[in-house]
Amino acid sequence: MTSWKKKVAGLTLASLAVASLSACGSNNNSNSEASGSPAASPSSSASASAGAGTDASKPVTLTMLLSGSKAANGPDFELDTLPKLVKEKFPNVTVEVQKLPDDQYYTAVKAKLASGEGPDFFLVFPKLANMGAIEVAKAGYAADLSDLGFWDNFSPSAKNDMSYEGKPYAVSRGMDILGAYYNKDLFAKAGITEIPKDWPSFLAASEKLKAAGVTPIAMGDKDPWVIQFGMYQLAANSVYPSDPEFDTKLQTGETHFSDAGWIKTINQYKELYDKGYVSKNSLGMASAQAMQQFVDGKAAMTFTGTWDLPGVTAKGAVDFERGFFSLPGNDAGQPVYASASTAAGYAINAKSKNLDVAKQVFEYMFDGQSPLFQAWAESNTSIPVYAGLKPNNDMFNDVLADIQSTGHAFYFSNQMWPAGVSDAMQTKFSEIIGGKKTTAEDVAKTMQSKYDELNKN
Amino acid sequence: MNRAVMKKTMYFFVLPALIFYLLFWIFPILKLFQYSVTDYNGYVQSFNYIGFDNFKTLYREEILGVSIKNTLLYTFISVILGNIIALALAFLLNANIRAKGLYRSAFYIPTLFSAIVVGFIWSYIYMPDEGLIASLLNKLGMTGLDTNFLGSYDKALYSIIAVDIWKNIGTSTIIFLAGLQTVPQDLIEAGKIDGAGRWNLVRFIKLPLLATSVTINVTLSIINGLKAFDYSYIMTNGGPGTSTNTLIFAIYKMAFTEQLFGKASALGIISFAIIIVITAVFVLTLNRREVSA
Repeated sequence: MTSWKKKVAGLTLASLAVASLSACGSNNNSNSEASGSPAASPSSSASASAGAGTDASKPVTLTMLLSGSKAANGPDFELDTLPKLVKEKFPNVTVEVQKLPDDQYYTAVKAKLASGEGPDFFLVFPKLANMGAIEVAKAGYAADLSDLGFWDNFSPSAKNDMSYEGKPYAVSRGMDILGAYYNKDLFAKAGITEIPKDWPSFLAASEKLKAAGVTPIAMGDKDPWVIQFGMYQLAANSVYPSDPEFDTKLQTGETHFSDAGWIKTINQYKELYDKGYVSKNSLGMASAQAMQQFVDGKAAMTFTGTWDLPGVTAKGAVDFERGFFSLPGNDAGQPVYASASTAAGYAINAKSKNLDVAKQVFEYMFDGQSPLFQAWAESNTSIPVYAGLKPNNDMFNDVLADIQSTGHAFYFSNQMWPAGVSDAMQTKFSEIIGGKKTTAEDVAKTMQSKYDELNKN
Repeated sequence: MNRAVMKKTMYFFVLPALIFYLLFWIFPILKLFQYSVTDYNGYVQSFNYIGFDNFKTLYREEILGVSIKNTLLYTFISVILGNIIALALAFLLNANIRAKGLYRSAFYIPTLFSAIVVGFIWSYIYMPDEGLIASLLNKLGMTGLDTNFLGSYDKALYSIIAVDIWKNIGTSTIIFLAGLQTVPQDLIEAGKIDGAGRWNLVRFIKLPLLATSVTINVTLSIINGLKAFDYSYIMTNGGPGTSTNTLIFAIYKMAFTEQLFGKASALGIISFAIIIVITAVFVLTLNRREVSA
């Protein structure tokens, strides 16, 4: 019996050691895992048909990995329409598309790229963001797209934000704007006659809503990334107008998060929680649950971006008219700056066996007239940056017109930070939401030390 | 074929499995040690050796202490509470009650679901103000109670431990139940003849005979607790703040969101060391314990 015990004990030791190590071991060696997983098989079938580049008779399989979820109703552009329309134009080309939730996308696509099993098409974010164009271009994973013919039709900023050393590496879907979606009925009921145009009037409006017994703002802070949605809009007003080069100067240590701008930004956002304008218990609510509160008419506003339009306009418990405005972080008398940024875009794997075919698909997709182009334009949730295209929804017209006429907009801050800084910000700011005695200075300090740690690399 | 040859040939049959094991288990583990002294980001294939900087940074940062504390708390509570509840349930389900089979299945059902399903459902149960628990309390007229379970720094960790216990109770209960049914009837009868009451029967006959089941269950729940990851990941994202960061979750987050694979490897090695120490203590205690059967 004792020896049996010893065996159990020994087994425990062994399995614990393995359990702890395998968790990390597999993280680091996704190479070996990926090559054995069935998920890698589409690309291996693609490599089997290597060299089919120009030969139109040989079957070619192109793989596409994207982040996001399937369209709630109707056909999904990438999952359903795109493979069908590509097949019509190029009968020998099959596109296999997979969509993953955001966090899993980052993990999966990086593991696949690093192991040489990367998809032919994948989603890339602007500038320095996580999976940003600069990062993937530097690592040699994205193909240089400067020889494609359609660049004149795209706005220069969309091209620049996806460029590294002057060459574009991804085709952006358009422009995304962060803002506050609001419930027009609840605003009217609370006696708010016009959209707040500066910070004091925004606070006053929130106060009115609160006094009317309505939750002013619903946020699902259990998904901590939503903290960025309010924060970057405030930063666009409190940090960048006085110093548009703030983030570039961060790299050289000329500016710091502890400078007045970010302290002001964090304090502004903190104020919304301190005064009880954001739904109580937001830390216990997921972003989907907060969205539900908004569409059910229980909260008057929620902060998110243009990409969330389908969720925001979903049918809830009551019907009401929705609107959209930029969260005004500006002082009275100053103009409002919007938080607008180039949207994520499609890139081609530089190591793709079918690089030529992939580029042909892009030429076809963005030629401005093909059925594929039409379908893409119609389904696009971002604000188009392609010559001649209009946004698919009127809700954003006011904000868009303002940006276009005044140019008052700044990008999402994290696009110029190494991935990880925004996480540090969220983690520390959560303490403020959770009622701890954390100050704006503490949040800024945490962001700075994470920045310093990551910027070295 | 004589026996000696037979024996030697047998070794060749081990080879495929051995190669597989070395390549996919041992090699990655060794790589972990290599990565822990680099600034590898898991993505760009070139990296520099930076000595023990990763360990030094970890030592300075609060995340190491927080995640160790959370993991130990998680393990301790889930081992103690989980096993006590499972034991109590096993005694109940072993009693002669009506619809015994129904109850036995009912307690085992949560075990059958995957962690992701359980975590997702429970995050709705825990939802403040409108979740199942909150509305139930409201119906009962108990308003004013704080129902923000997952969003509170003090409660989040305990809330996810509760889910873990709820999900895994079935397995432990089954093992205890099986143990209880192997207790020989004659021993119990002998005890009764000697005038033992119900409590004494449990204390001096049933529990000692359950010792093996206890060992198995404690072992399993320690393993389960030390590698806790699922519910932090699914239900709270390690939050609020870092209050539900376990060691494995911290490693995951460091590697995949901060892209610090080198530092995450270093943390992996530290957790490895911690787990070895805990297990060693556990193993030694286990071996010293007198076993009766």
